[in-house]
Amino acid sequence: MLQRSFARRARQTLLFCALASATLCVCARTRAAFAGDDLPAWLAQAAAQVPPAYDKDVPAVVLYDERQVTVAPDGKTVSTEMYAVRVLRREGRAFAVAREGYAPSVGKVREMRAWLIRPGGQVKKYGKDETADVAASPEDVYDESRAKVIVGSDDADEGCVFGYQVTSEEQELFPDATWEFQEPVRSGAVHAALPALVSRYTLTLPQGWTAKGVTFNHAAVEPTVAGTTYTWELKSLPPVDPEPASPEVTSLAPRLAVTYAPAQGATTAGATRVFKDWTDVSRWYTNLADAQAAPDAAITAKVKELTADSKTELEKIRAVGRYVQGIQYISVQIGVGRFRPHSAAEVFAKNYGDCKDKANLMRAMLKVLGIDSYPVLIYSGDPTYVRAEWASPGQFNHCIVAVKVGDETKAPTVVESPSLGRVLIFDATDDATPVGDLPDHEQNSFALVAAGDHGALLRMPSTPPEANRLEREAEVTLAADGSITATLRERSQGQAAVWERRAFRGLSRADYAGVIEHWITRGATGARVSKVEPSDDREAGRFALDVDFAAANYGQLMQGRLLVFKPAVVSRREFLELARAERKHPVVLESQAFTESVNVRLPAGFDVDELPDPVKLEAPFGNYTATYEVKDGQLRFTRSLTQRAATIPPEQYAQVRGFFERIRAAEQAPVVLAKK
Amino acid sequence: MLRYLRVPRRIALCLFVALAASAAAAARAYSSSDNDWKPVDPAQLSMKTPLVERDADAEAIFWEVRADDGDEEDFVLTNYIRIKIFTDRGRESQSKVEIPFLNGVKIKDVAARTIKPDGTIVELKKEDVFEKTVVKAGGLKLRAKSFALQGVEPGAIIEYRWREVYSNASADYTRLEFQREIPVESITYHIKPSKIIVGARAMRFQTFHMDAPRFEKEKDGFFVTTVENVPAFREEPRMPPEDQVRRWILLYYSADEKPQPAEFWKRVGRNLAENTKDRIKANDDVKKAAAEIVGGAQTPEQKLERLYDYCRLKIKNLSSDAAGLTSDEREKLKSTGKPADTLKRGQGTAGDVGELFAALANGAGFDARVAVMADRSRIFFDPKFADSYFIRLVCVAVKVGDDWRFYDPSETYLPAGMLPWQEEMEDALVADAKEPFFVKTPLSPPDRSVERRTARLRLLEDGTLEGDVKIEYTGHLGNDKKNYNDDDSPQQREDTLKSAVKSRLSTAELSDIKIENVTDPVKPFTYSFKVRVPGYAQRTGKRLFVQPAFFEHGVAPLFATSDRQNMIYFNYPWSEEDDVEIALPEGFALDNADAPTPFQAQDVSKYDVKIGVTGDGRKLSYHRTFFFGGGAGLLFPAQSYPQIKAVFDELNKRDNHTITLKQAAAATASNPN
Repeated sequence: MLQRSFARRARQTLLFCALASATLCVCARTRAAFAGDDLPAWLAQAAAQVPPAYDKDVPAVVLYDERQVTVAPDGKTVSTEMYAVRVLRREGRAFAVAREGYAPSVGKVREMRAWLIRPGGQVKKYGKDETADVAASPEDVYDESRAKVIVGSDDADEGCVFGYQVTSEEQELFPDATWEFQEPVRSGAVHAALPALVSRYTLTLPQGWTAKGVTFNHAAVEPTVAGTTYTWELKSLPPVDPEPASPEVTSLAPRLAVTYAPAQGATTAGATRVFKDWTDVSRWYTNLADAQAAPDAAITAKVKELTADSKTELEKIRAVGRYVQGIQYISVQIGVGRFRPHSAAEVFAKNYGDCKDKANLMRAMLKVLGIDSYPVLIYSGDPTYVRAEWASPGQFNHCIVAVKVGDETKAPTVVESPSLGRVLIFDATDDATPVGDLPDHEQNSFALVAAGDHGALLRMPSTPPEANRLEREAEVTLAADGSITATLRERSQGQAAVWERRAFRGLSRADYAGVIEHWITRGATGARVSKVEPSDDREAGRFALDVDFAAANYGQLMQGRLLVFKPAVVSRREFLELARAERKHPVVLESQAFTESVNVRLPAGFDVDELPDPVKLEAPFGNYTATYEVKDGQLRFTRSLTQRAATIPPEQYAQVRGFFERIRAAEQAPVVLAKK
Repeated sequence: MLRYLRVPRRIALCLFVALAASAAAAARAYSSSDNDWKPVDPAQLSMKTPLVERDADAEAIFWEVRADDGDEEDFVLTNYIRIKIFTDRGRESQSKVEIPFLNGVKIKDVAARTIKPDGTIVELKKEDVFEKTVVKAGGLKLRAKSFALQGVEPGAIIEYRWREVYSNASADYTRLEFQREIPVESITYHIKPSKIIVGARAMRFQTFHMDAPRFEKEKDGFFVTTVENVPAFREEPRMPPEDQVRRWILLYYSADEKPQPAEFWKRVGRNLAENTKDRIKANDDVKKAAAEIVGGAQTPEQKLERLYDYCRLKIKNLSSDAAGLTSDEREKLKSTGKPADTLKRGQGTAGDVGELFAALANGAGFDARVAVMADRSRIFFDPKFADSYFIRLVCVAVKVGDDWRFYDPSETYLPAGMLPWQEEMEDALVADAKEPFFVKTPLSPPDRSVERRTARLRLLEDGTLEGDVKIEYTGHLGNDKKNYNDDDSPQQREDTLKSAVKSRLSTAELSDIKIENVTDPVKPFTYSFKVRVPGYAQRTGKRLFVQPAFFEHGVAPLFATSDRQNMIYFNYPWSEEDDVEIALPEGFALDNADAPTPFQAQDVSKYDVKIGVTGDGRKLSYHRTFFFGGGAGLLFPAQSYPQIKAVFDELNKRDNHTITLKQAAAATASNPN
């Protein structure tokens, strides 16, 4: 992972709160300081506000959120964050947390204080004794990033206001910053943003400096300027609610990107490089990374060994890509390692590294083969996060690679770069996605190809539904008593195969078999699974799964004359549920295709009495068919879904919901057999 | 639960050891002066498949710990582990190591290396061992030494070692783990007991879920034992608590040369009586209150129930979530120490409430004592183990006739006659100044914990089902529901309900939700709501198929996998009662309404269902009863898994039973049973 700035404001997640409150129970006992005399004016004023009525599921409202940043001529910043949140329901207690991140090598937190104002006006004060200093990523082996934390959750209750003020300093690498007017918060897997009454970012620059801001996910916010102090502000922001298949909250909640610069021609001390465009960012990263990508003798030897049998350019890239993906991912975020990849020789020798290390090693190995390649900076997790209008490394959190390829190399992930020609985009970190494919959360996003003067922002490839197909064939024998024996064959490719591969590789063999059994028995109660045979062809991007099972009484025999069963014996393992009648945000659909063919050998002595009606659905974002045919004592049931990558506006929600609802109903439809 | 009496014990060290063991746990007799790695057998390097478990991703070749308690000041654990990597997954899980430690502990001599399949050795450099402070707060400092082994790939062997030095600590109550998350070919412990303590108290050990290993004397005062071919520990659904199934040993010091359980528990019980006698004594105020409370009650049971309900309902239990205290307020909580004070204030801690109940019972002429026991959610206690290590819970025993009845009025939501399930079916040590004794606490039968569900529904032509639903929970089920919800906001409680319903009926829309009696100590926890489920019934050209078991629609079978390693365990018995009425759509009539057959599994479980239809054929009625855990049948050996699974598979099948409706013109209505 790429990390650049640590002095971020509080990120309150329920997960974190659980951790922090557990670790801070000691602090809670150390002091019970009740004092309202030094409550800061901004907090008293914020707490006096009466927020509007929100939906009852809104847990808390941000009353006030301001970050004041003062920049010194050497690029150092001193920031003061002031934040107040009112707890609206008990679950909102989780947001009564102060947190400020920092990296000891470039910054520190000078002071952190917090207050809890109870509905009756009583104030509890938190200071140094209640402040914890925690590892920001305790699960990482080599990561220096830290955070100061005050947890007020256990003390807070409905109606309480929790506020904090924190001052920190940091040596910034670039003269730019981002401000989330509504910071994403997380509860489990759900992301959202609290409503905010006032959200403000204030930047004070040295004399002669200027700043420019860009607003995302909102109409442009113009700053008020007083001397060299710029203030951007939004008020009365509604909550951002999570919805199934909606864009990430980072693409919904308003945020600001600011670039500041000394007066033209002025010289400054420190790292205050201003990026005037994407090519400039490309030059910066190229300078930082290129020298690290030198192959040594060991790498050269390994490349020769890996590609000894490779004949084509694509085969060579695959051989190298497979090797690099195979080395272990371990994040190293210490000192300059936060930005610059470790040398390829070091990563090769240790056999581990993070995303930028892997991309860099891949480049070194391709160099041995005479193949040019470039690091690609990208944002992993939200394909619409990176915006072209703000040239800054601050938009990225991940590094992949672009490989220059000749015309003979064909793959869905080859794109045409205006300055570099054909390049194959490859994620050397995601070992479930082989050369020729790209993780779905990176597809169609903007990314920076760092190729010195030739570098530019480039739209990443998007693979078609057919490239992400799951095909299932089932042979089922139905007996007169309703029992079945069945054989399933699944063949998947592209991102469909990646999904299967991750499940397979993430579990022990026994646990994987258990997951498959769960899936089968969900559709066929009491099924006895006699074979689970996965087969992973990662290089070809394919995954196969064969399952044999038997289930007594799958079909229900009614009064000895009717036999009722569902031909869709097993469910799809992923299905979009759009239960809500209303929709606020667009629906984001991923590119995928699914086909199933089920052949049911019917029991002797029964005729088909009723078949479900065939289904044919067509929409701009996809199509679906289901057919039933009886021939020679066998029922053939087919279903097919093609879903195109699309972002559908909320106005068309009813159409999308209806589409998937009809599919759900069709897949529940039974077949009725009657005794002759 | 009463928790006012705590048996002193030194558990901190155990926590440290468990914490460190979780990082990797290792060990082999490796003396601090021994800087050499043990030689690697070429056979280990060329090994292609695991020895202990066929599909293991990694396997510890050996795991050795040297536990040295011989030093006057420090207790030292020296660890050495060697692991063979077989797959990428094994590499991912084993090659990152973190050794956490708290204040007072030093981690020394960390060393690690990788032996690649071709024999190349990659040593970990000292500078690649990263020390970080995980949390620093209020004098507490949790640090960790972490490192990533280099050059790891399938086929490689990794090994690492380190020493943990615990200042001013001893091995008393140290847990020795004999089962890890990966299989282990050989586990060896070298243990040196303390010389200082040994004069008065000797080191003892107690084994759990394994044969007692034989400790051999070796040089320098150590004893050694080795266990071989230990499979990995795996969690499974509905298994007993981990301490009950995992292989482990508890080290402790005891003054008894050969601890005699009967004598030991007598001492504990007598001490308990001595320590609690003043806290449960009734003074005049308490006696007067007791007389008023039981006034008019005829039987001893009625009197005790009144006293119990008085303590539950009239005395505010400040330890309960329902008290609505903040952490600040809880911090200030102090035991009143005297029942009369608790009575006067009308509130107290959980301990105070329990003591007041005992004092009131004594004041009313009963013989009430304090009783202690283990926690069934942690281990199944065996009094043959002569140590208080597992004794964690406290309740009140009252003699009625020749029997002892047990009460825990600090558990706000349970009626008289029920204990928290963790305290039921446990051996309770009843305090006595002369002859303390164990009594098995009763287990509440299935009909004390009921999920009672009613639905009045209407089926529409298009398969939509809609109507009114009410669900009540009593006993342990109610207690669980109340404890889960009582700290949540009303909105969160609704969200919890909606999530539960939508997890099985994805299209369900809920409205007019009422959640009642969440913090009521007497009334059952109750949901009531209107529901609408589009697509509930499947429509074909001329029929509708509907599952009358509305409350079981979409519920997955309890057990899915065919294999089982651990015993099967249920916390407490329970029962279910469903009463569903479905008004049928116009134009449709029953084509069949045959009912699934009932079944019974001895006295452990029983399922019955009745399906009927009103005289005009317009309304379907469905009555289902089920219970499990009858005859105290809660724990079953792994060999019984097929039978237990079959019970729940059969239940699921019957719950999925479908009724057919046919368009009236074509219907040949039959007479259901």
